[in-house]
Amino acid sequence: MSPPRAGAPGPLEQALEITRKDLRLEARAGEALLVTAPFGAVALLLVPLAVGTDVPLLRSVGSGMYWVVVLLFGVLVTFRQSGVDAPPQVELLRLTGIHPAVQLLGRAGANAVLLLAFELAVLPVAVIVYDPPLHGWPWLLPVLPGVAIGLAVLGTLAGALTQGLAGRTTLGPLLVVPLALPLLLAATQSTEATRYGRTPWNWLALLALVDLVAALAVVLSARSLEEGS
Amino acid sequence: MRSLSRHLTTVAALAMAAGLVAALTAPPDQLQGNLQRLMYVHVPAAWLAYFSFAITFGASAGWLWKRTVRLDRLAAASAEVGVFFTGLTIVLGSVWGKPVWGVWWTWDPRLVTTALMFFVYLGYLALRRATADPTVRARRAAVFGVLAFAQVPVVHMSVIWWRALHQPPTVLKPGDPSIDHWMLAVLMLNVLAFTAVYAVLLRSRIRLAADEDAFEAAQDAATNDLAGAAVTAPDYGRKAGHGV
Amino acid sequence: MPEPRAHLISRSGGPSSGGSPSSVAHLAGLSVTVQRTPVLRDLTMTVAPGEAVGLVGANGSGKSTLLRILATLLPPAAGAGWVLGARLGTRDVEGIRPGIALVGHTPALYPRLTLGENLAFYCRLTGSSVDAADAALATVGLGRASDRPADRCSHGMLRRAELARVLVTCPRLLLLDEAHAGLDRGSARLVGLVVDGVRGGGGGAVVVSHEPDRLAGTVDRVVEIENGALRSTDPSAAAGAEVRR
Repeated sequence: MSPPRAGAPGPLEQALEITRKDLRLEARAGEALLVTAPFGAVALLLVPLAVGTDVPLLRSVGSGMYWVVVLLFGVLVTFRQSGVDAPPQVELLRLTGIHPAVQLLGRAGANAVLLLAFELAVLPVAVIVYDPPLHGWPWLLPVLPGVAIGLAVLGTLAGALTQGLAGRTTLGPLLVVPLALPLLLAATQSTEATRYGRTPWNWLALLALVDLVAALAVVLSARSLEEGS
Repeated sequence: MRSLSRHLTTVAALAMAAGLVAALTAPPDQLQGNLQRLMYVHVPAAWLAYFSFAITFGASAGWLWKRTVRLDRLAAASAEVGVFFTGLTIVLGSVWGKPVWGVWWTWDPRLVTTALMFFVYLGYLALRRATADPTVRARRAAVFGVLAFAQVPVVHMSVIWWRALHQPPTVLKPGDPSIDHWMLAVLMLNVLAFTAVYAVLLRSRIRLAADEDAFEAAQDAATNDLAGAAVTAPDYGRKAGHGV
Repeated sequence: MPEPRAHLISRSGGPSSGGSPSSVAHLAGLSVTVQRTPVLRDLTMTVAPGEAVGLVGANGSGKSTLLRILATLLPPAAGAGWVLGARLGTRDVEGIRPGIALVGHTPALYPRLTLGENLAFYCRLTGSSVDAADAALATVGLGRASDRPADRCSHGMLRRAELARVLVTCPRLLLLDEAHAGLDRGSARLVGLVVDGVRGGGGGAVVVSHEPDRLAGTVDRVVEIENGALRSTDPSAAAGAEVRR
């Protein structure tokens, strides 16, 4: 009855398997792109109705509003329903012997992909409604994934901290958003720096630093968070 | 140590009284006049706020290492007292700022970071409140306590960089370094007084937590029934509905 | 089995003795608290290699908790235990966890994934071959339901799928909670098949069931949880006790 063992998979393969599983589950549920992204787009639409449709005003606040929406609504993506493991599934994963940090990083990977998709879905709405200056647009290429990764890792960690708690979909974002402030500043200041012809290397470095510190926190605390609970 | 603890409340009260008297009798500021005396409460409150959160960080890290209940109580109590002092700092800052700058709020990096820490530690307390099981609560709070404090320097640095790009208003900032010696002495006295108050509040809160834990342990010991003892076989002879 | 038990009691104090070195699981004077309520108290149990133990008891008596302890998912509050050579409550349990299969009373399948996808995910995560997953599904009679999402499967189908998972991984300790719940008459023998497979490989099994007649044919001996600890019963007496309750 012994099955042909393909050899125990390494941590990277295990993490990728977790990522693939999460993405597949979300593809079937469709919450991130079909519900949360439109919600973010509605928020972008509400602001001019509230503060005035003066075109120069909107041009100046456009990129800032976009990043605020990415932060506040994007964090909801990490707390989506399809990302929640029921207790039997949690136990099953524990019994596979997978290292808890590998599991969390796999989950963070899926969150990062979904957040990037979310950012790209909401971006056209911001461009259309606010008409922000776009001549620095190549710098968006490192900034969009940088923010997605940072928010994903922080959201995954907060998800682990609030696992099984009632009200985690509001408590979790409260834990994430204040600590994600550097991501917001780095993103907005990068775009603003390019407007004045400066290269935003220090802001990109800050983005990388936040992502790194968050990833380190996940790896170091994963085991403590798992045991016995 | 016990004699210190017994007299702590008296010491704190005396220190606060002394600090208050000193603050009111210190020389008034050249530009702001008597309004500047708010510095003697605002700055110590800010100092204690950061100090409390540093204690929470240390106790959280210690708990992750040693797993003693006392450290968890210390972390939680210090966070609660810290939230109080942070709130006090912000309110006093606004009260001071409105007459001086004309606005309730300013985007000074320290103020922004203080406000953010306020919300971070509200989140810490909310996380504790939401978790029922004591061991799980201690563990998750400890991880968040370490993470939150570790991220604060990064947050503060990013706000400073951001602020450097937007010229700050040319007004007197609270806590201007070129301070008169007498005023500095009064400030230090108030810092000590506030630290004593912090110690009193911390001690009360820790005692309360210890009493709560003892009460729960006593309840558990009193019943001491196994979970399964509450389940008995059904009573098939009893008729359902009217009349028992 | 009086003689081995005496032998074990004298050695249970040693920290690294691991109880009897050949036992699949050994619990000595174990106490467990769940949410500050004691559930098990001073419980002693041994599972020898090649042995299947039946577990019965009233509702709420702690059967599921005992299974979770044996699965190393709960740390003991007092006493000592060794599972597959690793002492409970220490880091050693992480190495032996892949050798444990736990089938709880709530299925651990992702509702929106198909049965085949669920099993394939588990296989790839543990290094088993995905072809073995298809073969296992066919063995339990779900070969043609492999493309059905788990949330559209009946409870009995999900239990069969979980048994297929056990067939794939070939564990050294099998823990079945409410083993016969939801399985129709045609597949009731499946539990015996899976247990025999584990026993044949030198492993042990603990089977919880509320159906004593089905249980008697599957296991070597039956123990009952009462007042947080175990007492041995023979299968027919257990059947009588169940009827009386």
